[in-house]
Amino acid sequence: MNSLLEYFETDWQAMTVNDWVGTILTVVIFLLMIVAYFQVFRPKNRERLEAKKHIPFDEDNE
Amino acid sequence: MQASLEQKYNFDIVRWFTIMAVVYLVVGAAVGVYIASELAWPFLNFDSPYISFGRLRPVHTNAVIFAFGGCTLMATAFYTVQRTCGVRLWSDKMARFTFWGWNAVIVLAVLTLPFGITQSKEYAELEWPIDILIAVVWLSFTINFLMTIATRKTSHIYVSNWFFLGMMVMIVYLHVVNSLAIPVGLFKSYSIFSGVQDAMIQWWWGHNAVGFYLTAGFLGIMYYFVPKQAGRPIYSYRLSVIHFWALMFGYVWLGAHHLQYTALPDWTGSLGAAVSIAMIIPSWGGAVNGMMTLSGAWDRLRTDYVLRFLIIALAFYAMSTFEGPVMSLKTVNALSHYTDWTIGHVHSGALGWVAGISIGAIYHLMTRLYHTEMFSERLINFHFWTATIGTVIYIVAMWVSGIMQGLMWRAYDEYGTLAYTFVESVDAMHPYYAMRAIGGMIFLLGAVVMLFNVLMTVRKSVTSGSLDKARAVPAAA
Repeated sequence: MNSLLEYFETDWQAMTVNDWVGTILTVVIFLLMIVAYFQVFRPKNRERLEAKKHIPFDEDNE
Repeated sequence: MQASLEQKYNFDIVRWFTIMAVVYLVVGAAVGVYIASELAWPFLNFDSPYISFGRLRPVHTNAVIFAFGGCTLMATAFYTVQRTCGVRLWSDKMARFTFWGWNAVIVLAVLTLPFGITQSKEYAELEWPIDILIAVVWLSFTINFLMTIATRKTSHIYVSNWFFLGMMVMIVYLHVVNSLAIPVGLFKSYSIFSGVQDAMIQWWWGHNAVGFYLTAGFLGIMYYFVPKQAGRPIYSYRLSVIHFWALMFGYVWLGAHHLQYTALPDWTGSLGAAVSIAMIIPSWGGAVNGMMTLSGAWDRLRTDYVLRFLIIALAFYAMSTFEGPVMSLKTVNALSHYTDWTIGHVHSGALGWVAGISIGAIYHLMTRLYHTEMFSERLINFHFWTATIGTVIYIVAMWVSGIMQGLMWRAYDEYGTLAYTFVESVDAMHPYYAMRAIGGMIFLLGAVVMLFNVLMTVRKSVTSGSLDKARAVPAAA
């Protein structure tokens, strides 16, 4: 356990602006991915999303 | 109704890019076969620096990736965006500029690389003036595509357009950042990055050229052409949405796995490998989504040769996107890195996935663009088998050669000294290099047959007047 804690140890004082921007962006995008998964696989949205799969067949007749 | 489509949409630009894609497939594969033969039979260098492996290898990679791959992407993106948005391209002039500009880039690559004019950055060898031209042409492609979507008649943007657009946006900033350089003359420049930062930027570009150009763009092709050729909608639209966002979020992290055991901080390689493994999930989700589109109609594979290309490409996509993450793991990487295993992996993706999905899409396009059936169905079948067998021979040769290389390089005797000299490993690889060249020749034969079949189809269209007739009929109201 100690070695695991050591592995994740972070020197917060040494974080630069770039580090913070990168960290915040990464966490925000990660959260957005969770929202995307939730929205896409929510049973309520199934019919609405799956209806879009027919778009290539709604084109003008060939 | 065909005629109204000809007048409604700009298919001329799609025809130009389609034909050039096939021409470049032959050229790129031919150069590849030649340099593979040079490695097996070195006398083919003829002591000329201009045709040595080091000079011709970037000609090969630029020809297949940017000439063949680029023309295929531009043909399919311009076709798909018009058909799924129900509107003509936003600017015909811009599309023509994209065509001539992109071909100018390819000509300039052929005129500079054999003479040793290079930035020495992998997959980004071209010197700074050509880099600027690439950026301008790519932006014109992107803006035209984006504006066509903006003027669409449909409410929803079909998922294939998402993939194309994702590729375009990412390639703009990957290309611009990676190509930042200080010119010291017309034909010479130095990267603004140095040391380990240069390596990191190089592989941030290098792997994302694979991830966004050779994967996202060709997935755009898959999501339109597999359903169209199969005559069935994609298996799960919801899965395609997750596939898109997971790919866009995940791929940008992977570059560092190319630099395991180097001066790069250790954690960056670990992070690259961890995200690489995570990427198996969306990649396989996408591959299964494409393949399951045939659910209930698998018998189509017996008779539809074009569909065979598309589905076998997905099989190679699934295989490559499993093999790549495994190779990124430090334990496996210790054996595989700097060996021919990497070359085998790259070609299972390039020949199996990228070329396979492109060839399927091009055959699909040919009949719709020239309003006639293909000159020969049997030649498509012949092409399918040459492409598949050639690819399998190639990658098997490189797998065996690569793993053997890795094992020989790290074998020690009881005194702790290397068991083999480097020359001994080169000597052991020779049969596999010959086998690789033969695999490439078989693949090239298929490409030549495709070019013949495509040109004869164009001739058939001209002789029968099918295209002219389609153009002449007034547009439907």
